[in-house]
Amino acid sequence: MLPLDALSAWQWVVLGAIPLAIVLLYFLKLRRAPRTVPSTMLWTRAIEDLRANSIWQRLRIGPLLVLQLLVVGLVGLALVRPGWTSGPLAGRRLILLIDTSASMSATDVAPTRLMDAKRRARNLVAEMQPGDTATVISFSDVAHVEQSFTDNRHQLESSLAAIRPTNRTTSLAEALRVTAGLTARTRNTPDADIPHVEESPASVFLFSDGAFPAVESGLLANLQLTFVPIGTSEARNIGITAFVAQGGAEAQTSLRVFARIENAGPQAETTGAALYRGDMLIDNKRIEVPARGSAGVEFELEELEADELRCVVERGGALALDDQAWIAIDPPLRRTVLLVTPGADALELALGTPRARELAVVEVARPDVLATEEYQKKASQGFYALAIYDRCSPNAMPQANTLFVGALPPGDLWRKKPPVSAPQIIDSESLHPLLQLVDLSDVNFASATPLEIPPGGRALVTMDAGTLLAIAPREQFQDVVLGTELSAATAETSAQANTNWPLRVSFPTFVLNLLGFLAHASDARSLVISPGQPIPLAEYTAASELTITMPSGRTEALTVSRGQPFHFSATEELGVYHVRAVGYPERRVSVDLLSSPETNITPREQIQIGSAEISGQARWEGNRREMWKLLLLGALGVLAAEWYIYTRSG
Amino acid sequence: MRLSGSELLSPSLRARLEHLDLVSRKVLRGGMRGERRATRLGHSVEFADFRNYAPGDDVRFIDWNLYARLDRLFLKLFFQEAERRVSILLDASPSMQFGQPSKFDWARQLAAALAYIGLVRGDRVRIETLGQPLAQSATPFRGRVSAAAMLDRVASIEPEPPLPFSEGLKKFCVRTQPNTLAIVISDLLDKTGYREGIAALTARQLEGFVIQVFSPEERHPDARGDLRLIDSEDAGATEITASRAVVLRYEAKLAEYVAEVREYCRGRGIEYLLADSAMPVEQLVTDLLRRRGLVH
Repeated sequence: MLPLDALSAWQWVVLGAIPLAIVLLYFLKLRRAPRTVPSTMLWTRAIEDLRANSIWQRLRIGPLLVLQLLVVGLVGLALVRPGWTSGPLAGRRLILLIDTSASMSATDVAPTRLMDAKRRARNLVAEMQPGDTATVISFSDVAHVEQSFTDNRHQLESSLAAIRPTNRTTSLAEALRVTAGLTARTRNTPDADIPHVEESPASVFLFSDGAFPAVESGLLANLQLTFVPIGTSEARNIGITAFVAQGGAEAQTSLRVFARIENAGPQAETTGAALYRGDMLIDNKRIEVPARGSAGVEFELEELEADELRCVVERGGALALDDQAWIAIDPPLRRTVLLVTPGADALELALGTPRARELAVVEVARPDVLATEEYQKKASQGFYALAIYDRCSPNAMPQANTLFVGALPPGDLWRKKPPVSAPQIIDSESLHPLLQLVDLSDVNFASATPLEIPPGGRALVTMDAGTLLAIAPREQFQDVVLGTELSAATAETSAQANTNWPLRVSFPTFVLNLLGFLAHASDARSLVISPGQPIPLAEYTAASELTITMPSGRTEALTVSRGQPFHFSATEELGVYHVRAVGYPERRVSVDLLSSPETNITPREQIQIGSAEISGQARWEGNRREMWKLLLLGALGVLAAEWYIYTRSG
Repeated sequence: MRLSGSELLSPSLRARLEHLDLVSRKVLRGGMRGERRATRLGHSVEFADFRNYAPGDDVRFIDWNLYARLDRLFLKLFFQEAERRVSILLDASPSMQFGQPSKFDWARQLAAALAYIGLVRGDRVRIETLGQPLAQSATPFRGRVSAAAMLDRVASIEPEPPLPFSEGLKKFCVRTQPNTLAIVISDLLDKTGYREGIAALTARQLEGFVIQVFSPEERHPDARGDLRLIDSEDAGATEITASRAVVLRYEAKLAEYVAEVREYCRGRGIEYLLADSAMPVEQLVTDLLRRRGLVH
């Protein structure tokens, strides 16, 4: 289709006048070959009739004239830059959504899907008319505005060129939220400088393979979405979508590694799955994966060590990112837990179990230790992962998670109400990590002090008179307060127990939960996160500087500012990250794609947004770059033909 | 181009022409006694009529048998055997110079062949051209002995400057005595028209036979493209873009013209024949003209 405003009015007139001029010249300046004939009498009679009929009879008979008009027509067409299949731009505001997720790195479209998407987007930008504005948004599981609304094609093109592939998963909802935000802002802001922007509707062009979950409706609002699927449906790809290490039959000494391998291609494939420890191959298994299905493979390792395991599938197909997965197993991290108590059998007993000793180093002290300089130094430097204050309270809160039993933290954030006797437990947050598997139904208290929770806190156990157990954040730490003492007994004196809780199974369970949740204690750990997810670093409370080595070998040093919780988010690379800090054992975190939607690279034919299904326009090409070249080539060909005919007849 | 006698008439053609004769539909009047039956009564063996005797009549022709029965004198009249006059008019205008071989050469061959037949049969044969002045009549040939001179005359005819066809034909008619077999060989391509000339043939009581000749190139021109056509006679130019349609149109016009001439001649008792210069003269004379009754 020809954009009528490609040329101004007078340019159209000039263009239209050229063929007319040729026809006129044809009559005026026609070069006729002279030929003597016996008599022109009959010829004159013959053409007199034709002349009388119509002027077109003469026009019809000139191959040269036809060719000349054809040349002018082709050149004229080339001048207005027509396109083959370019869709009409419905609006004058374009929003280009470029999917940069892992699956867009697939190479079924040369060179990659992302490059193809960028190419098509670039063509769309090239099609923009003066006055059109466009914005470029790249998205994976997060969306970035690469270029805000502008009519500067050069800027748009360079921002398109700057888009890099990511290893992340896909979330269209994110992108649509950002898009909606952009358009809404423009809609609501009465900006006098760009009044026309408000009036015109926005057209969203989504360049993606559609590998994302359905999106809730409402996000689309007034946007007109065109889905341009990228990629070919015949692309074959095999990838790892799950990679887990678990304790084996003999949990303490063996390890069972399980991997699920998916085949996104249209044909069943037999491939090999290899397991490496570091760079050493330790096992290799053949595996048959059905077409568009998955299969599992399992490895049994005899020894459980701190290790980096890597699974590699052979002949992984178009997408290379999912051909490998890593898992790093760290030894248990044993942190120091301080128990300050005047003498309480229950807590000491619970922290003295072999399991608790395995998970943490427990220091037990009397309340007078709180006054010592050593304690204050350790507490303020974050030496302890968890401090338990039984019926006592420090002068200042330590740089650690805390549990207060029968006492309140210093300060006036926590308050208590008058004590009640024989309270009844009516509710507990059994989903909270602290109360997992903790059954309080058979626990009774003789007396208790209901708690007033500071802002941001949360009641964990509620009794009829108020809150019994609560948790509240403090900077990067958590404070847990139990509104009653377990026993009034001290090391020197014995007293009647206030509760039967320590006699129930739920008590040691609670204490182990405490160690796991507040002291970050755990068994051999294998933390796997998705690309771009932050590495939680809350346990490094005592460290002043962290060194993180990326899979590529690049090292990043982080300075820990005291009192500020922090994460490390630069986890784009796939592989194993090493976290080192003085005073802490080395920790490894593996970043794996492990995403079934990304591995299944078959482009979706349609996407679901709310109740609306939007079909992909696979052939959509905002492309007319070649058309004028073809036309000019055609014109040259016609010119050559004309030359041939001319020389032959001349 | 000057043609030799043998080029005009090959010996084999001559041999075939020996057996042919020109056919007149009229009884002719010749100036000298010839082999033709003339309208003038004279001395021959063919009885014509009786008439009353008048003093001074040749008594040798009195029918004495009648006198014996009727006792009146009657004179027996006989047809006179007269020679026949044949005039062949050649169009030597520039338009005749076209074709391969040229229509003019072809017309000369035809004229020579027809003249030869006449000579063999004792006719008085004149060969004239359109451009000949009014008063200058061509020398007639008579008898087989004149064949060589006749061929010489035909061979010596040169192309002439353009002259209106009718004008030339009228002059020819004035020069020619009535009852002459007048054979006109021309293409009749003249913008000034042909009708007056043809009409003059009838008016002069000539036995006219018009042979219109066209070359194959004229009948089916191969003109293509943008052309500036120049008339060979008046040098007038006509610009055409010769498409298939135009050529077809031209051919239709030619057929129309031929039909028109034929109709006009027929209306005036003049025989007409359309000839193609590609046809050998021998074939034309021994076959076509024979069928059309000019020779037998």
